[in-house]
Amino acid sequence: MGAWLDYTINGLIVGNIYALLAVGLALIFGVSHLINFAQGSIYTAGAFIGWTCAQRLGTPLPVTMAAVVLGCAALGVVIERVGLRPLAGSARIAPLLATIGISFVLDQGLQLLYSPDPRSLPSPLPAWRIQVGRGTIGALDILIAATGLVSAAVLFGFLRFSRLGWAVRATAQDSEAARQMGVNTDAVNRTVFAIAAGLGGLSGLLVGMYYNHIDTAMSFQATLKGVVAQVIGGMGNVPGAIAGSLLLGLTESYGVALFGSSYRNLFAFVLLLIVLVLRPNGLFAGRQAMSPEPLTGTFIAPSRPWDVPRWAVAVCVLLAALLPFLPNSAYALQVLTNAWLYALLAISLTLVAGTLGQVSLGHAGLLLIGAYASALLALDSGLPVWLSIPAAGFVTAALGTALTWPAFRLRSHYVSIATLGIGEIVGLVILNWESLTHGPMGVTGVPPLTAGTVELDSPQASYWVALAVLVLLGLMQSRLLGTHLGRTFRAIRDDDVAARACGVSLDRYKGLAFAVSGFAAGISGAISAHLYSYINNETFTSQVSVLALTMVILGGMGNVLGAVIGAVALTGLPEVFRFTAEYRQLIYGLVLLLMIRFRPQGILGTA
Amino acid sequence: MSEGGSRGDLLELSGIDTFYGPAQVHFAMNLEVRRGQIVCLLGGNASGKSTTMKVILGLVKPRAGTVRFDGQDITGLSTPAIIARGIGSVPEARRLFGAMTVRENLLMGAYTRRDRAEVNHDYDRMLGLFPRVAQRINNRAGTLSGGEQQMVAMARALMGRPRLICMDEPTMGLSPLYVDRVLELIAAINKEGVSVFMVEQNASLALQIAHHGYVLRTGVIALSGPAGELARDPRIRDAYLGGERTAA
Ligand SMILES: Nc1ncnc2c1ncn2[C@@H]1O[C@H](COP(=O)(O)OP(=O)(O)O)[C@@H](O)[C@H]1O
Ligand SMILES: [Mg+2]
Repeated sequence: MGAWLDYTINGLIVGNIYALLAVGLALIFGVSHLINFAQGSIYTAGAFIGWTCAQRLGTPLPVTMAAVVLGCAALGVVIERVGLRPLAGSARIAPLLATIGISFVLDQGLQLLYSPDPRSLPSPLPAWRIQVGRGTIGALDILIAATGLVSAAVLFGFLRFSRLGWAVRATAQDSEAARQMGVNTDAVNRTVFAIAAGLGGLSGLLVGMYYNHIDTAMSFQATLKGVVAQVIGGMGNVPGAIAGSLLLGLTESYGVALFGSSYRNLFAFVLLLIVLVLRPNGLFAGRQAMSPEPLTGTFIAPSRPWDVPRWAVAVCVLLAALLPFLPNSAYALQVLTNAWLYALLAISLTLVAGTLGQVSLGHAGLLLIGAYASALLALDSGLPVWLSIPAAGFVTAALGTALTWPAFRLRSHYVSIATLGIGEIVGLVILNWESLTHGPMGVTGVPPLTAGTVELDSPQASYWVALAVLVLLGLMQSRLLGTHLGRTFRAIRDDDVAARACGVSLDRYKGLAFAVSGFAAGISGAISAHLYSYINNETFTSQVSVLALTMVILGGMGNVLGAVIGAVALTGLPEVFRFTAEYRQLIYGLVLLLMIRFRPQGILGTA
Repeated sequence: MSEGGSRGDLLELSGIDTFYGPAQVHFAMNLEVRRGQIVCLLGGNASGKSTTMKVILGLVKPRAGTVRFDGQDITGLSTPAIIARGIGSVPEARRLFGAMTVRENLLMGAYTRRDRAEVNHDYDRMLGLFPRVAQRINNRAGTLSGGEQQMVAMARALMGRPRLICMDEPTMGLSPLYVDRVLELIAAINKEGVSVFMVEQNASLALQIAHHGYVLRTGVIALSGPAGELARDPRIRDAYLGGERTAA
């Protein structure tokens, strides 16, 4: 029983930390309908500002906390001004993608500044614990709870009694009407970003002290948790975000108590999906709740795609196919094999994100399914590799479609969040389903590529296999876009209500698109597995999903050739310029930001 | 502030061209609101009336032409800056802050003002002018009836102490009783010295209280003149009177 009290206390404390993240997300979503994916990076920045103050400058805790809040608030203002305000008029998914770009830049900036090594951030508070019933509470627990309560109270007072707070609420309800009352909505946005960032940074500092551990890789999970908590409470609902956070903290804590700590995130994301599907307005939406926010406008900048002549494509393919005959091409082959596999992923994503308009952030999950399916079929079931790879494609098509099916009824932002959650769930199921997947050990000794009795494990052969599969699936997808099916996909993207009114069954077509997409992604993951010979649940993470989306945007959403070019550019160019891994993320982030800002239609144009 | 004070025009739009993307809404539109008058802009659906109001408020920027308020060019100013110069807005479909109370809505109308005491005085005045609003003062604005909401929207705009109040179809969707009440109130507001620019589809209603009228047809001012003359003009009778929403 005492343990349960401890788990409850732990859940509430962690929930408080999530609340500090989620409240800011809710405020920002409220006034600008934007999910700020940079929130986790600000949280990490807060932890490192705190570390610098406490460990380097030796400041006392109150000063450290103030420095974190002010430093992060300033960062939030800069992000809003530089990254987001210029996008005010564009489709709503654009600023969301921009925040992803910003998070890449911030994370990598921090990593360059502080190195990726974890650091300890000891709490300066006394180490006493008081007995409460059969559980115990420490000084830091009380500090975290108090911070949560005080922040909530101050925020409440601000929104309820201050002039600017009223402006925030008015803007959240109707920004155009607010402007007609003389509200400077830019100032409101700036304020909200400052508050969100200040609280987010504080959250990072407290987490760092709670676990006595900070590192630069903790951003993404923090963003996800904040988003999950906010979705549970209802997007844009500030009190809901607090309640959702506590609920999330408790759910995770009890989940850990029952099943072990590797289940923590699984509980979070399953809760996310359940809420998204059953109560997309959040658990606390009353009758006066907003209708499901339309959030229309996919990230399709209208443009006329470049008409690349077929012979030019054919010549490029031919040249690519001849590359292995060049002397000293081993390094280039390795880079390009990787590029072809990414291109396969990118054409898979561009079909659903570009052609169908469902911006998926969960394609890493498809890669994982493909990789594991082929590896396990070959290893545990003894299927020959040349059969296990296509089989993995079909498995991924079926499983991927079945898993995303609950998200088919969602639109725009919600699709992105749901698929992100699904992608994470795939990785977590793989981690925990040891009897099938070998769990955290991963799968070792995945057999190399073969076709019948022909060994294909030379770099040249791998290269040709990847290229051939890419050309084949790429051609098929280009053909598909010109058919009635392709036109239907685009009709759903451009106006799903109208498409449905014309008798189009959205579920069926979305299912079809995700199946085709899953097949290509599955094949990409499968080939990768056989090339790597070792895979685990972290071989493909959500960062890969985001990278794939960057490639797709770079090339032009929906554009098959563009996806290939985007993939080659983002995997190849860093190699050409020999950037080290840290700088690579920075470049991805900057590319994403610059493309969204200056050429949203991508290099080749949207199709 | 008052170089333009001697001249009669409080608001002056000249040579306005407005576009939404490639689609042109206004073609070299000219329009004036004289100090102390009620001016109505009439026109059918999608003729560009609401867009005219958005141009005045700075919510949509014209590609060519100027908007002058009180003799000064306000074309390039932001909406908050324009509001702060003394223009009040009653937007189309009222656009109250539904989750805020009526009281909070009214005080939002005084957002640009810093004179606390005077704001409180105006607040009490609004409660006197709009007894219906006073009764619902602590309710959430979203729970009010359409007519009540229209009253709140007008009171909210007046809380900014505007010299010019712009209204987009203030009688739309109201019961006949409220239509009359709203028209009376507009006339009363005008008597207190506030100039009124009013967008309406229903010409016969608007011309009852207006001094001057303009008729907008697909982005071009097709007719204009004193309200009495317009009301008798057979062309406007043909085009607009007896429109689908005539209230009698
Ligand atoms: N935000 C907008 N984007 C694109 N077109 C618009 C927008 N608002 C209005 N329009 C178009 O401009 C024209 C004029 O609209 P509006 O000024 O609202 O007309 P009215 O108020 O007279 O009905 C209409 O054809 C309308 O479809
Ligand atoms: Mg209108």
